[in-house]
Order: sequence, then C-alpha cells, then structure tokens
Amino acid sequence: MSRLIHSDPEAGACAVATHGLCKRYGGETALEGVDLWVPDGAVYVLIGPNGAGKSTTLKVLMNLERPDAGTAEVFGLDTVRRGPEVRAQVGYVPEHHDHGYRWMTCGRLLRHVAAYYPAWDPAYADHLSRAFDLRLDRRVGALSKGEARRLHLVLALAHRPPLLLLDEPTDGLDPVARNRTLALLAEHLADSPTTVLVSTHQIYEMESLADHIGVLREGRLVAQMPRDELKRTVRRYRIEVPEGWEAPPELRSAGPRRPGAGREFQWTLVGEEREVTDRLTLSGARVREVTTLGLEDAALAFLPEEVSR
Amino acid sequence: MLVNLDPHDARPLYLQIMDEVRRALVVGTLRPEDPLPSVRELSSELVVNPRTVSQAYRELEREGVVYVRRGQGTFVAPGAHPDDQERRALARGVAKRALLEARRNGVGVEELVTIIREVATEEEGEPSGSASAANQGDTE
Repeated sequence: MSRLIHSDPEAGACAVATHGLCKRYGGETALEGVDLWVPDGAVYVLIGPNGAGKSTTLKVLMNLERPDAGTAEVFGLDTVRRGPEVRAQVGYVPEHHDHGYRWMTCGRLLRHVAAYYPAWDPAYADHLSRAFDLRLDRRVGALSKGEARRLHLVLALAHRPPLLLLDEPTDGLDPVARNRTLALLAEHLADSPTTVLVSTHQIYEMESLADHIGVLREGRLVAQMPRDELKRTVRRYRIEVPEGWEAPPELRSAGPRRPGAGREFQWTLVGEEREVTDRLTLSGARVREVTTLGLEDAALAFLPEEVSR
Repeated sequence: MLVNLDPHDARPLYLQIMDEVRRALVVGTLRPEDPLPSVRELSSELVVNPRTVSQAYRELEREGVVYVRRGQGTFVAPGAHPDDQERRALARGVAKRALLEARRNGVGVEELVTIIREVATEEEGEPSGSASAANQGDTE
C-alpha cells in the first residue's frame, strides 16, 4: 500500500485544501482520499502519469465535477456550495479546448470574457496576446491545439486572479512558445501575488518555478512536500552488500532496487541522508556513493511499483 | 551578470543564485555599485519563481553583499570586494566537485592533482591563468 509521504502542513494560510476527496466514474476510481494542501502564494506542481487524477482534481476545484466524498475549499470557500464565488477568483486553463464560442474571433471572445471580470486588465490582455502571438482575427473554432492553449492562457491571466489552475498549460506548444509561456508566468508572479496549481507530466518544464510538489498515482496523493525537502530527502544510493544481505525493514524505498555490477546495486531511498546511510551501514551494507536527483527523478521515484523486499 | 542554474545541483535554487552573484564578484563581472537585475527580470530570464530570487537577494542583503535603494532596485554594496575567504570558498567548491567526479571514476587524490597540473601545462602553457579559469566557469 502506498502511504502519503509528506511534511507537516506549514503554519499559515492555504489557498487550496481538499479533505478525503473521492471521485468515481462508474467502476473506475479517479480520486481516492486526496488531501491536497496548497499554501498561499505557492507554485504547486501536481505530477503523475495520464489517468492518475490530475485533471479530475482541478475540475473538482472548478466545480465542473462533483466529488463523491470529501470536500474541497478554495480560499476557504466550499467549491460545491460557493462555486461561482470560487470561479471568480480563479484563472483556469482546461486540459481540452472545448469552448462554446467557436464562431467568435479570439478578439471578440476576449472582450466577451472581459465583461465577466471586474478586475480584467485590457492593457495586460493586449500585452499577453502580443507576447503569445495570438491572432485576434482568427475564429476560436479554427484554432490549433497550441493556439487554443495560448488563448486560454491569456483568458486565465488577464484578470490577475489570486489563483491559477493550469492543466498541462504547455501541452501542444512548440519549444519556443513553451519557454515564452514559462517566462511570462514568472513575470506574472513577480507582478501579481498569485497561487498556482499546475498539473503536468513534464515536470522538468516546471522544475525551477515549482516550490511545492504533489505526486498522484492511481488517484492517490502519494507524496506532497516543498520542493527543497523533496530534493533533500530523496537520493540514490549505490551500495555494496554482503552475501545474503537483507534490507533493513525501516528503510523507505521510493522505487525498485536496480542491480549494478556484482554485489552492488542502486536504490532510491527517502529520508535524511545521514540517517539512511547509518541504517544501511548498520545492516552491513557499504554505501559507495550517494547521488542527488533532479526534481523530476526525485518525484518520479514515487511512481513505479515497489519491488517486494 | 550571467547566472547559470543547475537543476541537478542539490543546493536549493536561492543558494545557487547567491553563489552565482558571489562568483560574478570574484571574477569581476559585478563591481560595487553595479545594479543587479530586478527580481522580475531575473525570474523571467531564468524561469524561476520570483520568490526564489527575492529570497536570494534578501539573504545577500543580510550578508552585506548588496543593498536596496528604495524605488531603484538592488545594488552591489560599496564594500563588497571579494576577500581571500570568498575566493577560497569558491575554489573549495570547484575542488569538491572535481573530487566527487574523481571518486566516481576511481581516480585517487594524488593522481587527480598530478593530472590537473599536467593538463593545465598542456593547455597553452599557462598553468593557472585567471582568464582561462573564468572562461571555463562560463562554459560549464
């Protein structure tokens, strides 16, 4: 069974909190007991393979899906009972481009949406449209996937909402547009205090923007912690073991053991390096090398099936 | 000022930014009273969270390396001349990384030191020119 590996919630306000969130589609479990905790002002990156429940989580927060059990709050507002108030404070980039206004031009749609948001900043919307190379005379229904994504980003950012929910925001963008998007996001964060919850399966893109990481696996949140803690506590150990060695049961593995040459193997373990090294040494293993992992590898370590000990 | 971040580095990003500023001071690309890029500029350029840049600048301010002119931005402090200690810390960092790489490849300390001298001599005959050291730092 996978247990949630997380740090204690920090003191302070949170922008998004879910408690025991469950969602089923027929017999399929999309979310199972998810306790998400996004601190105010964080850039929280939710990762996991396709189908792990990332999009469903964001849809529940937008009240586009109703949870079967559990609750979700955005800035303390229940997402089911206070849906409209929640949505007024959120900029949302959905996973699929599914806009009802296919006949409108992009420019017309921007003006249309602007009317719903008192905080809409027309000058900023213009700036973003230019920066994203958005052609305002194009019809919404004729946009490519990447163009639609850029349109949604303008719609989400231009009213400077306190919370951004971005579902795979760079999906379908070419590398140049992707880098520009991330740089614009960094500028946006510098200009307006914003909490960001972003889902992605390409964590390396978000690597340097993220300050909190959550890992979803088959509908369960298996890890949730600040970025620096994840990088500090997930490391790869190259160890040499004696004949018939058995792994100390108290070690927390974050992935399978990979055999190396001879009696050596590599193992990704969770814990403070000194503690883990002491445990390994005590069990008779020799720690040959400890490698720090990039954020992506550290987070991905929670995803593969654990090898039975 | 050229700032390079390494995602595989175990150090938190704000520490990496602080070290890059110190490196620029030692190498001489940043001098007292020079302006640092704004938080907005640097976070956009590096695509890092602006909070991370702010944290780095705050820490540097506390250490007296930089100061804030209200409404104008962050500047290198007048007294921020890199001292021997700073140079030493930088050199120790280089040594640590080299040692780690050496150990991984089964190269001993003495062997490494000898080979470094040998290679340095081969490379355009100047063993420890500061210019070539700076270039290496940039291409890394």
